[in-house]
Amino acid sequence: MPIHNLGYREWKGELEPSSTRWTVVAEIGIRRAWRSSWLRRMMFFAWVPAVVMGFMIFLFEQAEKDGGAAGVMFTNLSRAFLQGERSAEGMPRLDLSELLASGGKSVAERRHLFWSALLLNLFRRSQPLILIPIIGLIAPPLISQDIRSRAFLLYFSRPLTKIQYILGKAATIIVYLSMITLFPALLLYFVGVLLSPELTVLTATWDLPLRIFLVSAIIVIPSTSLALMLSALTTESRYASFGWFAIWIFGFLTYSSVVPFSRPGDSSIAECVSLFHVFSDVAGWLLDPHFATTGVETRLILLGVLTAVSLAVVYRRVSAPMKI
Amino acid sequence: MSALIELTSLTKDYGNFRALDDVNLTVQPGITGLLGPNGAGKSTLIKVLLGLVGINQGSGHVLGFPLGTSIAQIRTQIGYMPEDDCYIHGLSGIDSIQVAARLSRIPATEALRRGHEILDFCGAGQERYRLVETYSTGMRQKLRFAMAIVHDPKLLILDEPTSGLDPEEREAMLNRIRVLARDFHKSVILCTHILPDVQTVCQYVVILAAGSVRVSDSLETLCRVRDPSVTVSVTGDAQRLQTLLQSRGVRAEAAAPFQLRVPGEAGQLNAVLWSAAEETNCVIRGLTPSRNSLEQIFLDAVREVHRADS
Repeated sequence: MPIHNLGYREWKGELEPSSTRWTVVAEIGIRRAWRSSWLRRMMFFAWVPAVVMGFMIFLFEQAEKDGGAAGVMFTNLSRAFLQGERSAEGMPRLDLSELLASGGKSVAERRHLFWSALLLNLFRRSQPLILIPIIGLIAPPLISQDIRSRAFLLYFSRPLTKIQYILGKAATIIVYLSMITLFPALLLYFVGVLLSPELTVLTATWDLPLRIFLVSAIIVIPSTSLALMLSALTTESRYASFGWFAIWIFGFLTYSSVVPFSRPGDSSIAECVSLFHVFSDVAGWLLDPHFATTGVETRLILLGVLTAVSLAVVYRRVSAPMKI
Repeated sequence: MSALIELTSLTKDYGNFRALDDVNLTVQPGITGLLGPNGAGKSTLIKVLLGLVGINQGSGHVLGFPLGTSIAQIRTQIGYMPEDDCYIHGLSGIDSIQVAARLSRIPATEALRRGHEILDFCGAGQERYRLVETYSTGMRQKLRFAMAIVHDPKLLILDEPTSGLDPEEREAMLNRIRVLARDFHKSVILCTHILPDVQTVCQYVVILAAGSVRVSDSLETLCRVRDPSVTVSVTGDAQRLQTLLQSRGVRAEAAAPFQLRVPGEAGQLNAVLWSAAEETNCVIRGLTPSRNSLEQIFLDAVREVHRADS
């Protein structure tokens, strides 16, 4: 018997509010996921694009101030990263140099345009590619392992509702996804503000943080719901992983093979098979002022339906073990 | 003394199958053994008490809170140890118990401190820092028990707490249950198939069969027999002893070689038995008062259901 063994003691403290119990579920998921060295590496690499873009903001401000070497470097870098007709994935890109060079634009207008282009690239190209493997690593075991180890009885015999449980699981994914979408984008914005010569930049770009929140929410919420649904549908997390990657890869391949042959104007449904392109189009609609808005409603409805159906399936699956 | 649990005409159906059929039950504070054959409705009854499944008919109160509408309050004051081998994957023993405490609304630092205390009380050593997946059956059993009591609940529902434990650990587990009930006034519902465990620690017994309550009374009352008798084990001429007792108006009959069954209370028979034994040069090796065994009570309750079914 340990020397400090006090036996059983009654506990008479103040209880925490039951409405915050979902944070305990979220904390378990976040801590468990963080143990993976692969996840830590991916999180590190997820911030690299934001760092590069932060450097480009610096170059932009230098070029605006005195041109010279910084101007040349900025032009070359923006060509390399942001310019082009259509990318290999078939996504239209912002022709930045043309927009920046077009006459009659003030510095504030050019800055807004440039920052939007940077954020658009972040949300359209780099972050979705990192988001897929990160969710593939975090989400599959979240509910499937609880079903397999019958942990539901431990959770739900305590003052925790099924909605709080699902919220806690979703928060686990949302925290990690926010760390690779929302926070790098916001940081990029604040780096821009700090590097700008005057504070009037805030009035010129006030809408960008709002747009960042919206784009992040539109990417994070459906992805989280879909990943939770896959995890809830099986007791084997590897099947959930397979399902997750299959949805993205087959969607991408189907899009790539169907869209080039479809007639202009009737491709909106076909384009919706690829989540990667759906997210890309919605991000473009929110961040690119020159984006053609055709078909965005279809994509938004699709994401809404996907989220609602996924969450309904998750709720049903979480309730199921109690009904036996 | 107010009742811990009061259920009135409780009915629960799973589709066409009636799991609980018009259950009327009152559970008093103390240790209550919940018995029943497989499929009797014990697990469903526990799930109903915890608010994990809804009911089709009837009403009830648990710890004074109405069933169905005060689930959070009820769960805050109940500690449940499931029979299933369930655990939260990827956590160590101490993390699991801290999580259990925090889910029961205990603040994080307190939960950790109390987790260590409870694991000490349950006899867990340094293995508390290992992942739960690596635990033996007995250790997992201890951990589930610790998780059930970490938030200091008023009512403990323990589902097969001693199954899979070695005799020493089983005794220690029963002892912990006794300590909690005796020294800390916790009420316990002990759901088990091991009847000697019930006989050792329980004050009340509830027997469920085919979804309805067959027996619900104190163990003392149940074990008390209607026609008491004493079984006398002797060395020597049992036949002579029997004849002598009969000549003195005691209706002794042979129960087995060297054993007599004598109707009456042990206290009243002592004097006549000892004097008769002395006179016949018999040595009394044992006097065993008759009792209804829990096993017999259980079998009678279950057979009644089978008879009714057939």
